[in-house]
Amino acid sequence: MVGIRDEQRAATRQQILRAGLELVRQSGFGKTTTGEIAKLVGKAHGTIFVHFATRDALVIEIVKAIGSSLTDHLARMSSDSFGLDQFLDAHLAVLREAEELHSALLQEMSRLPASARAYVMAMQSGVSARLGRALQIDIDKGLARPFDKVALANIWIALTNHYLLNRDLFAPGESVIVRHGAALKSQLLAIVEKETAHV
Amino acid sequence: MSDTHCPSCGSCGFPMESEDDFAGGNREAAYCSTCADSNGHLKPFDTVVALNADYFVRHQGIDLSAAVELARTLLQTMPAWAGNQSTLQ
Repeated sequence: MVGIRDEQRAATRQQILRAGLELVRQSGFGKTTTGEIAKLVGKAHGTIFVHFATRDALVIEIVKAIGSSLTDHLARMSSDSFGLDQFLDAHLAVLREAEELHSALLQEMSRLPASARAYVMAMQSGVSARLGRALQIDIDKGLARPFDKVALANIWIALTNHYLLNRDLFAPGESVIVRHGAALKSQLLAIVEKETAHV
Repeated sequence: MSDTHCPSCGSCGFPMESEDDFAGGNREAAYCSTCADSNGHLKPFDTVVALNADYFVRHQGIDLSAAVELARTLLQTMPAWAGNQSTLQ
């Protein structure tokens, strides 16, 4: 049975994580301090370390939360019956929802603990697996030409990552996904588009 | 970001949605069908590392030895595997 103290403990942990996510969204990982997180949740600085042994441990949980939110939303928003067009829309919508967090994660990954990179790659493998299934559906329906699934997924991941990494250049002061998402999707679909017969 | 999540595997973090995702097809299972056997018991650490590495290789074309290292790093942050050391190379 879960006691009240356990519930309070879990609630405080969640509060800290949410505050961490909000501050990373605003300023990135490097500029987010445990002191600021404590201030935002209205707790003593030491309380952070009751729930997370080190700053790195908290950073990893923030990265996990970004990753699980993406895979979870994708699992809910997309379906195994989706073709590429619908899958790409679902993925772009998920990225849009946490655009600043994904951008911060990609930009600062080399300075984060090694497991952060492992989480990003796991997240990308999940995207790739779903994109591969969507491509196969379109091939089976005669809507797309046969194409290497891993290669297509890597092209998509590279494209979206490039725009997220450089969102300040591609869409200063606004959402890079809103501004460029539709064009990126069209570019990917064009790669596997079936050639129309010429008369 | 939403706070509501579908259950995720306590071993690898994979989101478990359909019955097939859960070990043994049991929606109460704590682990996914990749990391645990049909009775819900976790497979040995090295086996789970190899299976997760294979996922990286199949879906992103990552080099096998790099994928093993990624999988080991990822799993060691999960409560189910804290402190485990893989012997896989």
